[in-house]
Amino acid sequence: MEPDAQLVQGCLRGEGPAWEELVRRHTRRVFNLCYRFTGNATEAEDLSQEVFLRIYRTLASYRPAFGAFPTWLTSVTRNLLVDHYRRTRRDRLTDSIEDAMPTLENKQSAARTPDKLALASELSAQLQQGLLRLSPELREAVILRDLQGLDYSEIQGVLEVPEGTVKSRINRGRIELARILEEMGLRPQN
Amino acid sequence: MTDWNCASTEERLSDYLDGTLSPAEAAAFSAHAGGCDPCGKLVAQVGGLVHQMRALDPLEVPPQLIPKILESTLGPTRTQTAGWRRWLAWIPQLWQPRFAMGVVTVAATVLIVLYTTGMSPAKLKKADLSPANVFRTANRQVHLTYARSAKFVNDLRVVYEIQTRLQPDAEPSPSITPAPAPQQNPQPPSSVNPQEKSQTSPHPGHSQSRNATMLASLLNTNWAGDFAATMLGDTTRSPR
Repeated sequence: MEPDAQLVQGCLRGEGPAWEELVRRHTRRVFNLCYRFTGNATEAEDLSQEVFLRIYRTLASYRPAFGAFPTWLTSVTRNLLVDHYRRTRRDRLTDSIEDAMPTLENKQSAARTPDKLALASELSAQLQQGLLRLSPELREAVILRDLQGLDYSEIQGVLEVPEGTVKSRINRGRIELARILEEMGLRPQN
Repeated sequence: MTDWNCASTEERLSDYLDGTLSPAEAAAFSAHAGGCDPCGKLVAQVGGLVHQMRALDPLEVPPQLIPKILESTLGPTRTQTAGWRRWLAWIPQLWQPRFAMGVVTVAATVLIVLYTTGMSPAKLKKADLSPANVFRTANRQVHLTYARSAKFVNDLRVVYEIQTRLQPDAEPSPSITPAPAPQQNPQPPSSVNPQEKSQTSPHPGHSQSRNATMLASLLNTNWAGDFAATMLGDTTRSPR
């Protein structure tokens, strides 16, 4: 049995430490997905908390046979993100979403002094701005594939769309993101 | 594969980058991208972007996030490490002056209660602590206290009654002829009322006879017997 499945079993038996370990293992993945999708650290924190609250309540309904735990977790996160996106669509039209963003990126660069890492966090911030200009469908596909490292079948499970659609969205998302970054004056290097 | 064009290059770009094209398709793709400037540029751009995104480290989790998640799911009484500390958290509170004052007050109260109920710690035996004995001692003490205060109030009333009887008659007293009361009085007036005695000490002869007269008239009333009995009982028991 894989470690995640063991931890889930422990959680279902009411073991607090098992849940704590499960949270520690997966918070980074959930937080990154939320942050990349919303571009707002505070929102990402709140959403991550909401994700784990939902996971905690519905853990009994998880079956390892349906897929790996991280895929299920990503699926729950993605559904919450979509709900959140729909809920806040009106607010975003009046709000500038980029306002809160550079703070987290700056914190990152301050924490890691080497120039290379500062450069990476600079790229990360620019990439974030580009991602936010993608449509949500393309954005989530690119994030799941290139930032979260999921393979096509996993993404297919998360998005619940045919494989052809997944491939098409990832492809279009990448091309569009590259064009947006070029418009922003950024030219990715190999 | 000669009909490979810009549209198909864009459409199959990710397949090319992911390496999922068949060798023939890959060759046609490369041939077209090599000859078409916009397509070559697009392939380079998207390839570079994908490479950079995959090399990007995931962001660090804000330090307060995991504790917040655990608190919202398991509740605030979650952490095991803090568990034993929480059990001992009340100890520092003992050193607060407020608590010390409280302890002193309670100790003083206990001492006062013990003292008034007649239990001295020096003479305290184990048997005294049994509930029945404690109750008996307390009960006896309460009754004794009640009896003492009742007697005190009665004494006061007697003194007050005598004084109020004596005062208004103080003026006309010389005109009244002495009744044969002194003989009826079993006790000398001086012993009945020490206060009167002390007041009248400068002129013992005159005041004594006057007091005797007043007392005699007092004792002629209906309740005189009761009072006399009370006062007698009082005076006879007082040396005890």
